[in-house]
Amino acid sequence: MMLLVPILAVPALAGLCCLLVRSPRVMACANVLAFGVTVALGVELLLQVQAPPYVVIECEEFFRADALSVWMVLLISVVSLGSSLYAGRYFRRDLAAQAVTSGRVKEFFVLTPLFTTGMFLVVLANSLGVMWFALEATALSSVLLVALYNRNTSLEAAWKYVILGSLGLALALFGTVFTYAAGIDQKSTVPHSFNWSHLMAMAGQLDPRMIKLAFVFVLVGYGTKAGLAPMHTWLPDAHSEAPSPTSAMLSGVSLKVALYALLRFHILTTACLGSAFSGTLLLVFGLGSMCLAAPFILVQTNLKRLLAYSSLEHVGLICVGVGLNSPVTIWGALLHMGYHALTKPVLFFAAGNIHQTCHTLQMRLIGPGMAKVLPATAVCMGLAAVAATGLPPFGLFFSEMTILNGGFAAGHSVVSTIVLLALLGAFCGILYQLTRILLGVPKVIRTTDAAPLDGVPAMGLMLGALLVFSVWLPAPLRFVMHRAAGIIGGESVP
Amino acid sequence: MNPVQSDLASQCITLLAAGMLVIQLLMVVQGMLLTNIRLFALQSLMLAAIAAIIAFFHNNATHVYWVAGLTLVGKVFFLPWLLNRQVRRMQIEQEIAPLLNSSASMLLCGGFTLLGYIVARPFTSLERLGNNTLGVAITLLLTGFFLMFNRRKAITQVLALLTVENGVMLAAVALTTYGMPLVVELGIFFDVMVAVMVLGLLVYRIRETFASMDVSKLSQLKG
Repeated sequence: MMLLVPILAVPALAGLCCLLVRSPRVMACANVLAFGVTVALGVELLLQVQAPPYVVIECEEFFRADALSVWMVLLISVVSLGSSLYAGRYFRRDLAAQAVTSGRVKEFFVLTPLFTTGMFLVVLANSLGVMWFALEATALSSVLLVALYNRNTSLEAAWKYVILGSLGLALALFGTVFTYAAGIDQKSTVPHSFNWSHLMAMAGQLDPRMIKLAFVFVLVGYGTKAGLAPMHTWLPDAHSEAPSPTSAMLSGVSLKVALYALLRFHILTTACLGSAFSGTLLLVFGLGSMCLAAPFILVQTNLKRLLAYSSLEHVGLICVGVGLNSPVTIWGALLHMGYHALTKPVLFFAAGNIHQTCHTLQMRLIGPGMAKVLPATAVCMGLAAVAATGLPPFGLFFSEMTILNGGFAAGHSVVSTIVLLALLGAFCGILYQLTRILLGVPKVIRTTDAAPLDGVPAMGLMLGALLVFSVWLPAPLRFVMHRAAGIIGGESVP
Repeated sequence: MNPVQSDLASQCITLLAAGMLVIQLLMVVQGMLLTNIRLFALQSLMLAAIAAIIAFFHNNATHVYWVAGLTLVGKVFFLPWLLNRQVRRMQIEQEIAPLLNSSASMLLCGGFTLLGYIVARPFTSLERLGNNTLGVAITLLLTGFFLMFNRRKAITQVLALLTVENGVMLAAVALTTYGMPLVVELGIFFDVMVAVMVLGLLVYRIRETFASMDVSKLSQLKG
């Protein structure tokens, strides 16, 4: 049975179907249904890669899914499901408040599944060239989502996002071309394959200078899309100006999909040159992102920008985990990817509810006492904030501890200490800022009715999944993650 | 392919690549938007010619004809037409003072060219066709970036992005003989087309909202 093609086709078809219908309710249902199906297909895929040959290949090797791709497919489908569940109610409120036109809502429900299809294609493509243009497609579909509200600031954010993103992707394309050139046999006249499996098989014979140059280009290029400092300047703008369901997708998975593309090149470079070169670069950029994010979190005044900088920090931590390059830290980084993908959307959904009630994201104007105004939202936000800062019982505590532990055990005590300090800064910043708006007595009189139960199903789903997976990782999932960690760590897995 | 033919093809490609670089430098100093668009069309025409030459001289590179054809249709005719229409509709033809004046930008771009050649130096032995085409490609990349930061009109930034894209295509042709697999080339082509349309849409909305195409006015989001 074909599996990879349906995973790509279902959301794409849902997006096209939404072109034909008028009612926002039907469009939202179509989105939820499509992503529900992709989650089921993702689980089926997870079960298929349990047995040898551990990869699923379709369409004459055009699509290929190994353990790392499967892990990403699961993340993408779960986050998309959550954010489509939330989007229905969110836009119903926006339409009622006349914050958007119905045309724009349609734009959202058409582009979001296409955005998701692009991300699926990134992780399922065998060819590195196809991976590149799929990433460009995700950038192009999400830029219109960022500009959805058509405010001055959202247009500015969209412009920055598309210009910086395209520049980054142009650099990544340079790197991709170099990688392709490095693999060409000087004497052969047959155009050779650009497939991942092919390149990995001949990694030892690739021209090392070319691969080095290629990795630098790709790091800066895909690093821009993944939001690594200092190319991150588009990130807080785009995350804060996009509608909340889109912010959740951007932060929850889009950053990680770009990181996935970077990791593929890291794996290739490691196979060719050893881990020292690309691993060190990832470590430096990851640490830089973490150190830069922490002070911005401490002094932030805008709620969604606060969350965006927190994403920057988590992406940095994932890079550090991979860059430290011991099996333990890579495992921690993968775990962190998953838990962060479940946590951050909840925070953005809650921020969306607060935005719709208070009509501002400035925390000074939101004021204290949100727990009294929006109790359910405040509880979810509080729990997710506790999770995002890395407190037990949530999984992010374990993944952060795993990375730190692995770092110290591998003798990188300086790096680990810096990571610890940056985490501490973010911890203080997020808890301080959020307690200020959630707790206390409400001071501002609101004219908008609070809708206390808005978005609770979506937030409940994500938080529930986070709690369950924090204490219990099903055996198939654990197996796939171990294999994925092995692939990143350069173990010769068949 | 016999050596004489190969030599001829190689010389043509070198000449055309040098032409692309000259046009890029002209764009850096040219202030009129419409002229800039024409220059870009000419640069793309040279890229299409390079692809056509490769397809003609190599027996088993017929898919490169596709690349040449797509470049001709897309980058020489369609995109310049689209941008032209947009500029005329907005009735803004002159770029207001760029950040750096033209003589300083020219000097800087001379530096970029030098840098491009230095970076490409270790790889000249890997070039299959032409001399120093990789150096030209990297220079196109660097000057494209500079063009983007130096100008404030949204349309010029789009053009700068497109010249960077031309640079990548030149690198692909120079380093790999046959270009990349057709499916990748097609994907890149459609992405570029869609990218320009999306950018055009955004420019239109920015113009509606800000009554200007000057992107330096986009400066509210900070910190």
